[in-house]
Amino acid sequence: MELLECKKLNKSFGNKKILKNINLKISKGKVIGLLGKNGTGKSTLIKLINDLLTPTSGKVLIKGKEVGIDSKKIISYLPERTYLDKSMTVDKVIEFFEVFYDDFDSKKARKLLKDLDLDTTQKLSKMSKGMQEKVQLVLVMSRKAELYILDEPLGGVDPATRDYILETILNNFAENASVIISTHLISDVERILDEVIFIDKGEIVLQSNSDELRTKENGSIDEIFRRMFKC
Amino acid sequence: MLKKLLKYDLQYIFKFIIIFYSLALFFGILTRIFLNIENSFVLNIIGQVCSGALISMIFSIIINNLMRLWVRFRTNFYGDESYLTHTLPIDKKTLYLSKIITAIVTLFVSIIVIFLTFFIAYGSNDFINMIKDMLLPIADAYNSTIIIILLAFFFILFLEFANILQCGFTGIILGHKKNNGKIGYSVLFGFITYIISQLFVIAIVLILALFNKDILNLIITNQMINISATKILIYMSIIMYTLVLIIGMIVNIKLFKKGINVD
Repeated sequence: MELLECKKLNKSFGNKKILKNINLKISKGKVIGLLGKNGTGKSTLIKLINDLLTPTSGKVLIKGKEVGIDSKKIISYLPERTYLDKSMTVDKVIEFFEVFYDDFDSKKARKLLKDLDLDTTQKLSKMSKGMQEKVQLVLVMSRKAELYILDEPLGGVDPATRDYILETILNNFAENASVIISTHLISDVERILDEVIFIDKGEIVLQSNSDELRTKENGSIDEIFRRMFKC
Repeated sequence: MLKKLLKYDLQYIFKFIIIFYSLALFFGILTRIFLNIENSFVLNIIGQVCSGALISMIFSIIINNLMRLWVRFRTNFYGDESYLTHTLPIDKKTLYLSKIITAIVTLFVSIIVIFLTFFIAYGSNDFINMIKDMLLPIADAYNSTIIIILLAFFFILFLEFANILQCGFTGIILGHKKNNGKIGYSVLFGFITYIISQLFVIAIVLILALFNKDILNLIITNQMINISATKILIYMSIIMYTLVLIIGMIVNIKLFKKGINVD
């Protein structure tokens, strides 16, 4: 059974079609890049998988079941924005994750936060946006999930921080789990990708193994992407 | 899971509104002290100022309680924090129930605090006797006690506020089904829901009037308040508002289960 499957998935806002007939299968143990230009439907697809949007038609199945409590137990999601209650301290947020997620490893979270020299007694509202994003990444990667979905984890951060984020992702995702990374910063992530999905104008235009694609097209994923979507 | 959610929701509301509770109690005590000092014009003026401050605190408790519950509902379900709320392994019914139970508990406590501070500020033997004199004929006419009459009044007030609050929740849910102008639509739909709930109550009163001559006379004639009719209306209004609350809750849960679209 596939870990994630989208069947004839469509999403419209009013008359505007954002996603068109998405058919997608993702299996266990892969790092997948969901790649596309800005505004091509990457975040919409991710929100549909996470029950933050309701499909206009079609289905999202997680291990054969429609999105619901069971899927939320096994998906660890990092949105593109800061989404925690800013009046909470980091300690309180850790406690919150511990209470609601059975697979959350608070020791691991505290260790990762210590490595970042973060004061866990500090309120999120007193931290910079970058720091808040790091806290969120640590929390998401401290779950022993089966599917990690990271929406633009590298957006708006400096190259050194990008490396830290990628290292954190690579070193911390659970065994046999899959990771979906949505980004338009392809050159930064391509070294860690097993598979790539190119999305354009709300449609999946390519899904392939990264190495096979590189060999077939004789270039890096970044170069292939640039060639395909040249303006 | 409901218990765990409630803990966070109640903490969020109370940690803010407790400031207004404390201020109301503080001004209640000051009002009592200063208004009871005789033969001092200045201290009596201070007492009047404290009394004014107390009244404004009482309004602040209700307004802040309602506003904070609506803001929490919106940010948790449709704002940035919705990305956490809707990805928690909890069903939508439990998410909604946590909000409505928090609303009921905090409103209940707020109304008790208001009664308490009012009593602290103005409660005296004379005041209690005045209330007794005022309510005793009504209680006698209703074949009831003053306590029951006060409790009935308390519950009607509480249910009315709870109804206003839930209409706001419905407005927010319906408003966020729109693509644009979500805040404006939320206010509009909330107001429309409130009007509908009041029309529902009136419709039930009219239906009751078909079966009860006293209520019918109260509506179609100029006769003075009829004890028998108002007695039925007081008890019926408690039942009707409870019914409106339950129907509103079922409708909101159903709307929620149909799915959400966060920005």
